[in-house]
Amino acid sequence: MSMSDQPDAAALRKRVVTLERQAKATQRTVDELKARDALKTQFLSNISHDLRTPLAAIITHAEILREGMLGELNQKQRDSVAGIVNGGQQLIDMIDEILFYVRGASDQVSLVRTEFSITEVVDQVRILNQALAAKKRLTIERLNGDDLPLVFADRDKLKHVLGNLIGNAIKFTPDAGRIWISFARRGRNADELVVEVGDTGHGIAKDHYDLIFREFAQVDASPSRSHHGTGLGLAIARKLVELQGGTIWVESQLGKGSRFFFTLPLNPPRD
Amino acid sequence: MRARILIVEDSQLVTEAFSVLFTEAGYDVDVAGTVAAAIEQGTSQPVDLMLLDLSLPDGNGLEILEALRRQESLPRATVAMTGDNDSRTRRKCIEAGCAEVLLKPVPIGELLRRIERLLA
Repeated sequence: MSMSDQPDAAALRKRVVTLERQAKATQRTVDELKARDALKTQFLSNISHDLRTPLAAIITHAEILREGMLGELNQKQRDSVAGIVNGGQQLIDMIDEILFYVRGASDQVSLVRTEFSITEVVDQVRILNQALAAKKRLTIERLNGDDLPLVFADRDKLKHVLGNLIGNAIKFTPDAGRIWISFARRGRNADELVVEVGDTGHGIAKDHYDLIFREFAQVDASPSRSHHGTGLGLAIARKLVELQGGTIWVESQLGKGSRFFFTLPLNPPRD
Repeated sequence: MRARILIVEDSQLVTEAFSVLFTEAGYDVDVAGTVAAAIEQGTSQPVDLMLLDLSLPDGNGLEILEALRRQESLPRATVAMTGDNDSRTRRKCIEAGCAEVLLKPVPIGELLRRIERLLA
């Protein structure tokens, strides 16, 4: 090797200094972004709490009227006041979804595991959503699962996941469609439960399979979109499934429908 | 004699709504917007039921229970009202001596039924 092939020591030093400076600048940017993200999370939490309080007052006042506590209302008046209560409740639900997400974002969600029947929980969520589904003449069926063993998981969080998936299916399935829930076991000892929530809805393009599980993501995010919401339902479902050691995914055909799957360990380690 | 309900809540909007509700339902109603005011009200006159908001401008609502317990002026029952459905918050309230922890807004029919049962 001749001397001329040796990198110039001065040039090398200069390069090192430049790289170090760049690394520091990048670190500064990362720190700044993290700080801003934390601020945004705090803002979301505060604004959600502050929105909730006057809304709670509005709903209480409207309920007092609806119940006739300040004098009997006629049917038209009662219907109108019921509209205020229902609209307010819908807003509260959305705010709660945001608060729930914010808590998750700052890792404040803890698991409380118990042993319970998953089909019982599915049936509860199904009944809770029956009225909403009936408005669009949708059927919600549980196809199997009577012979499943008890699961050891966080019951409330599982209910939340199922509620979000079924709610999502109701939202994106046109009138007179079908929604179903079914179970399968897989794994070497059949120790993993796969839960499916399927629908005959609009379906999701393959390009969007990942997007839909991201926070605040909506396939159609335009102000004129026909489906509104926080865009947090599936992101929260993913978080809650992963927290319990499972995975969540979707298989879909545009125009035919979607099948959402998530897994739950049947015999998770008990510590 | 009509039962006395003390509403501890810093939002005037919510206080007004509850005042109407409980007055119409036949209770005597008092309100307090801070921890200090609630302790003052709770010790000056016996309270049958306290409806407790947790986040108050001068502290946590559960501090009121502690103070009233020290002064042997605990209400017959306390119902905590929270805007956040968190199991840890719930546990803290029960440990502090709340009979119920309800998520705001509680449907009024349910709220009245529970209060009636606690005061029976």
